[in-house]
Amino acid sequence: MDNLDAARLQMAFTLIFHIVFACIGMVMPFFMVVAHKKWLNTKNPIYLTLTKSWQKGVAIFFVTGAVSGTALSFELGLLWPEFMKYAGPIIGMPFSLEGAAFFVEAIALGFYLYGWNKLPEKFHWFTGVIVGIAGVASGILVVSANGWMNAPSGFDYINGEFTNINPIKALLNDAWFTQALHMTLAAFTATGFAVAGIHAFQIYKKRHVELHTKAFKIAITFGAIAAILQPLSGDLSAKDIAKRQPVKLAAMEAHYHTQKGAPLYIGGIVNNEKGEVTHKIEIPKALSFLAFGNFDAEVKGLNDFPDDVKPKNIALVHYAFQTMVGLGTLLMFAGILFFISLKKTHWMQNKRYWLLFFLLAPLGFLALEAGWIVTEVGRQPWIIHNVMKTKDAVTPMPGIVYSFYMYLVLYGILTVAVTWLMLRQIKFLNNSKIS
Amino acid sequence: MLYVVLFFLAFSLLLYVLLAGADFGAGIIEQFSSKHNRTLTKKTIYRVIGPVWEANHIWIIIVIVILWVGFPGFYNILMVYLHIPLTLILLGITLRGVAFVFRHYDAYKDKTQLLYDWMFRVSSVVTPIFLGVTFGGLISGDIEITANLENTNFYSAYIASWFNLFSLFVGFFFAGICAFLASIMLIGEANKTERRLYVKKARIATITVIILGFLVLAVGFVQEKVFVLSFFKNPYAIGLIVFSALLILPLLNSIKNERRIITRALAGLQVILILLAAFVTHFPDIIITTNGSVNILETVATNQVIKVLGIALIIGGAIILPGLFHLMKSFKMIKILE
Ligand code: HDD
Ligand code: HEM
Ligand code: HEM
Repeated sequence: MDNLDAARLQMAFTLIFHIVFACIGMVMPFFMVVAHKKWLNTKNPIYLTLTKSWQKGVAIFFVTGAVSGTALSFELGLLWPEFMKYAGPIIGMPFSLEGAAFFVEAIALGFYLYGWNKLPEKFHWFTGVIVGIAGVASGILVVSANGWMNAPSGFDYINGEFTNINPIKALLNDAWFTQALHMTLAAFTATGFAVAGIHAFQIYKKRHVELHTKAFKIAITFGAIAAILQPLSGDLSAKDIAKRQPVKLAAMEAHYHTQKGAPLYIGGIVNNEKGEVTHKIEIPKALSFLAFGNFDAEVKGLNDFPDDVKPKNIALVHYAFQTMVGLGTLLMFAGILFFISLKKTHWMQNKRYWLLFFLLAPLGFLALEAGWIVTEVGRQPWIIHNVMKTKDAVTPMPGIVYSFYMYLVLYGILTVAVTWLMLRQIKFLNNSKIS
Repeated sequence: MLYVVLFFLAFSLLLYVLLAGADFGAGIIEQFSSKHNRTLTKKTIYRVIGPVWEANHIWIIIVIVILWVGFPGFYNILMVYLHIPLTLILLGITLRGVAFVFRHYDAYKDKTQLLYDWMFRVSSVVTPIFLGVTFGGLISGDIEITANLENTNFYSAYIASWFNLFSLFVGFFFAGICAFLASIMLIGEANKTERRLYVKKARIATITVIILGFLVLAVGFVQEKVFVLSFFKNPYAIGLIVFSALLILPLLNSIKNERRIITRALAGLQVILILLAAFVTHFPDIIITTNGSVNILETVATNQVIKVLGIALIIGGAIILPGLFHLMKSFKMIKILE
């Protein structure tokens, strides 16, 4: 493995890890404060038990998110020093605001976790709300930095020099809004379905059914609403990409030949050498419509882009995109199903209902990771779109493979440990008496 | 605005050293305690730093962000030439943070606690050592900056600067300071019987710090490190160190009289003075290389960037500092009321 590949793999791996913890740390506080509010309103002790048990989850994920995030903020420089040398001052703005948001989050979390029976009730609850809001704010800010890599703005690039830097313009780049919206919804979808799925499984196993049903309803409501909005926001993103990064669009769709009224492929096997997709379902003119809102618009194909500006791994981008959209559609229907089941309550008596939601648990996160692979691999070979190549940004230090292996082992162990800890948390909850 | 940014940089670094330092040090003390005292220390640590430990560690992120936004050239050198110790620091921070929550949030308190405790203690010792080693590397005079890294051998480019006696001693010295800060902090939290224990630890830590500090200077002097030589030539630096050393007397006194606030303030001040001495010795030439030095002020970003960064820091500070202050105060108050 050469150094560049190792650095890319390490970056990808650590981000894929971080995002799981970050999303849960960002969304779980909302579940927690809803349960808390219900406890305050109803004084039903089940809600208190639930709040306290979710609060432990938040604390564990917050810390894992925070340490892996700390690692990332170093890694940006350790792996991509040339990128950071120029990009640092430009995208530092979102990152410094993000730092502030993290801080607020950590302070509020300190108040929340340690404030039971010590702070005034309302204020205590409110600190939980701040945890959630600050988490989402920091998520939006980092994604805006990523948006800048896709749609660089706020500087002039003259003879290899970055001049006239305007950090605010860079923050409000063309991609930030669609990406941040889509990402925030994704975080709610993924976490909502994951948490709901875990509780659904407990109901399926008939353990503390009342508690787990309450938990399920809170989590799935967030997840379902987000999942229903997600395809709309995805469509906005796709239209954006069509204008901003036509190569990425072509890679996502494995669209090789420039064509008016381009068809949309569903499924299919990509053969990059021959430049064709076999075994697919073809929907005529749909790609042109989805990308430009016009059935006859021309969509530029991969064959018409020079080799050095398009991603190497077209198949990966295409499969990842298909996975995301497929799962997104599935989750949207599941969300609708949930809202119908609120009317048709007898569905909830059926064991298969709970099994279904249990099986859906990992899919949101799968879609989320797939989506990031689309964005990030689809951006290659650029680290800053049309400005700087990834290979020019990598550290000169050889031997990055070893640091990659280290992270592989470290995060592997962490994943196992956190999963195990969560299982014990649930076991503990099930074995405890709720008074 | 540059000075505002520099102020926040120094301020964040200082808070990181004091707060996270005490936090690391608590783990070091736990490591160097007998079995019985470990359990005791573990409980005290949790009570003292539980609510604020997350916040303590965010300062390093602020430092990193200010560096990359405001001083990209400096940050670049740090990240390229000191890649290895920085990676080891990250490893330590990760294991430590995780072990800290695991041992308090695991639903069942059984044998696995032993593993968490071990992870916590070991990473508490190792991380500050590598933090110190990294700083030692910056000032060791062994960083060889070239535009032609491909043709430099791996050892001299990426290892020599930090893997040497001088840098290692700086590392141990820093770990010693952490233990010192922690022991002072724990004294203030302990009850009558525990107090004796931490007073003893504080005494050992103080002596260790003095010995290690002396060793750093001695090694540096013998090996003719530019940093140490210019330290001896700088009357202000010497003065600050002497002042810091003299503060030991009132410190001992206030420990004896159980003056908690004054004790802490004095210990903090001592560490600040040591840092200040290091600072006046070589500011603004923070990095000392094999054939010269790198002036941090020459790696600064453009005016526009510094202006925006400064404003962001002021606004951020205005939001965060009062919040943090209240967090600390509230839990102090609660503790007193209990
Ligand atoms: C639960 C997760 C999830 C779900 C269900 C979907 N997405 Fe997504 N998608 C993401 C999670 C995600 C993501 C991980 O959050 C990405 C990566 C970068 C970003 O901003 O969002 C993303 C990126 C992303 C992009 C590229 C944006 C860019 O590169 O700037 C497009 C075009 C879409 N999505 C389109 C869709 C469509 C049409 C969906 C229809 C169902 C869909 N997504 C469902
Ligand atoms: C957390 C969700 C994210 C995931 C899962 C993710 C995933 C990935 C993947 C798979 C790659 C490797 C691409 C390749 O080399 O083929 C990558 C590269 C990279 N990502 Fe992301 N990414 C995420 C968010 C971000 C954000 C928010 C930023 C910056 C602000 C970012 C910055 C980078 C950089 C600098 C690289 C390396 C250079 C490159 O390959 O272009 N990523 N990421
Ligand atoms: C290169 C990309 C990234 C970097 C450098 C980064 C950096 C960090 C840092 C330093 C922290 C720790 C802050 C603390 O101590 O609380 C953190 C945590 C967090 N990150 Fe990231 N991050 C990146 C990608 C992302 C992405 C893509 C998201 C979400 C969309 C995200 C969302 C969060 C959240 C919400 C937290 C708070 C921790 C929690 O609540 O669990 N980060 N990140």
